[in-house]
Amino acid sequence: MAEYQIRRCDRHLTGGIHPETHKQLSTAEPCVFVETPTRLLFPIHFSGGGPGEALVRVGDPVAKGTPIIRCQSGIVHVASRAGTVLEVTDHAMAHPSSERSACIVIEPDGLDRQDYLSPMNWPFDAETLRERAIEAGILGLGGAGFPSFKKWSNRTQTLIINAAECEPYLTADDTLIRIDTHSMIRGACLLSRTLDIQTIVIGIEDNKPEALEAIECALKESRSDCFFDIVLLDTKYPSGSARQLVWLTLGIEVPTGSRSVEAGVIVHNPGTLAALSRAIDGKPITDRIVTLTGESFTRPKNVIAPIGTPISHLIAATDTNPQSLHSVIIGGPMMGYRVTDFSAGITKTTNCLLAREVEVQPESPCIRCGACATACPVRLQPQQMVAALKGDALNRAIHEGLGDCIECAACNAVCPSNIPLAEWFRRGRFEMKERAREHQQASDARDRFEARNTRLERLAQEQEAKRAARKAKSADALNKARKAREEIS
Amino acid sequence: MIDVLVTVGSGVIGLTVIGFAGGALLQYASKAFKVEGNPLVESIDELLPQTQCGQCGHPGCKPYAEAIAHGESINRCPPGGQTTVDRIASLLGVESLPLDADTAAADQDLVALIIEEECIGCTKCIQACPVDAIVGAAKLMHTVIVDDCTGCDLCIDPCPVDCIDMVERPKAPDYWTPIHPKVISTDRFGQIEMQHG
Repeated sequence: MAEYQIRRCDRHLTGGIHPETHKQLSTAEPCVFVETPTRLLFPIHFSGGGPGEALVRVGDPVAKGTPIIRCQSGIVHVASRAGTVLEVTDHAMAHPSSERSACIVIEPDGLDRQDYLSPMNWPFDAETLRERAIEAGILGLGGAGFPSFKKWSNRTQTLIINAAECEPYLTADDTLIRIDTHSMIRGACLLSRTLDIQTIVIGIEDNKPEALEAIECALKESRSDCFFDIVLLDTKYPSGSARQLVWLTLGIEVPTGSRSVEAGVIVHNPGTLAALSRAIDGKPITDRIVTLTGESFTRPKNVIAPIGTPISHLIAATDTNPQSLHSVIIGGPMMGYRVTDFSAGITKTTNCLLAREVEVQPESPCIRCGACATACPVRLQPQQMVAALKGDALNRAIHEGLGDCIECAACNAVCPSNIPLAEWFRRGRFEMKERAREHQQASDARDRFEARNTRLERLAQEQEAKRAARKAKSADALNKARKAREEIS
Repeated sequence: MIDVLVTVGSGVIGLTVIGFAGGALLQYASKAFKVEGNPLVESIDELLPQTQCGQCGHPGCKPYAEAIAHGESINRCPPGGQTTVDRIASLLGVESLPLDADTAAADQDLVALIIEEECIGCTKCIQACPVDAIVGAAKLMHTVIVDDCTGCDLCIDPCPVDCIDMVERPKAPDYWTPIHPKVISTDRFGQIEMQHG
């Protein structure tokens, strides 16, 4: 039995909101596998892990687990079912850009051919585990899709399992913990042993008693010697944001401009750890749990779906006609984005499809009520930032703390004027990054220009010196010749 | 009388001593904390786009920054565009000027592209490139390192076979821009309880 303790979090989130959670909507039905769809779609550049490169050609047969895309970060995406590569074409994607981009289309043949990696034997070192995570395509399955192996530094003291799942409607992590607890615990233990981490913290909101019970059962059965510190958090949005969770569970405030990794803390989603556990057994990520929820679905539930399954196929899995919906939100009501083309395939980061009728409310002027500032978990002044951004004064917004915004959209939810604050901040933060990139490019250009000037100067000097030496030499020779002639005459 | 002289004299002597002491301190500070180079030039250089294109009439961005610090007009940088002129104006506390160039050209983000089939390998463009962004060797094909190219077009003129084009800077395949916000794009729902206190 692994040692563990359950304690109530004694810290409270500054700001934050209490939206209706609507979680029971999708947990009423059991989690089921969806039927394999007739098409699977894999965006080459937008599957997570940076721009990619296709590893297969049209007509190639693929098995479940065959690498099909390799990204710039090294991450490999695999075919989630056996079949044939039908085409590589521009297609709609499950991505906030709502643009079309190159996708690999696979037609599953219904056969159970597998192309897995070989199982790893304990003991292995961190480098081997990193390689495995790359080959198995392990990304943050919580929604951000950050390549997990990049977080695994050897200076880490604590691993936090982010089981807070504070976003309303979402129950994918809750479901995963309930049905796949052992994989999650095993993944966490193996990662901790490899990186020499002593404590594993599980941050879980107190609205998931079933998941908590499942964790307890699994820990009682586990033979791990890691210490598990289970922290019960108040149900409040956004306690599951990485920075907020680190503070709530450990009391560490991650400084501006650095990641929690630099503070010696790794935060992982339960799904990521379960996927890591399977990757150690040789199975790359081919499926994920997706919450299908919202009042517009006939039978909301959680499903286990192959990566690349078209959205329309999942909508049909809830006994709902895709034609009856205008759009679905991917990723929850707070931080999600809207998708209208249901032919797009889900990616590793698609944790939820939310369908509900909402009327679009037009924006009214800011009345300076300060509700957003009270709701902001980072203690920013959203009304000031949005005023700056609307006035095209990016510098002022940055000065107000735009760089610290976690884009949680708590400000959106409380604004009585329906101002799309979080959307402005998302755009502002994008521009901020662009500007930083341009600045970096300019400074690189300056460095190269200066290096070139120094080099040209040095070359000119060397040439000058050579010429002088040659001159001296020839003058010498001339003198000698003259002397010799004089002697002869 | 003597009282007055002593009073005035001690005052004069005291102030003189303080004056000399202060002077010595300033003299020491000016040596110990001497700033190398002109900090104003550095700040101006920081605002310039570092294309090193020479369109301002100076051999690079730094020399132009120096010239501005010595009173040259601030609107001679076409790659920087009006934004750069405005920023320099606000840095120097002077009135901004309209850009002294064809403004249409300033808005484009271009890079050089060598048509490799036509390249004869003369190395003239390599010598012209101010930021070492072209690789190649004599009688071998040259090519532009796109990420390092500043789009200054100084390599165009030296090319004897006219095989260099200016093209739009290619975007990364996963580049995307968030939409301009109009309405809250996801969802709103009622009964949100605010935290009090």
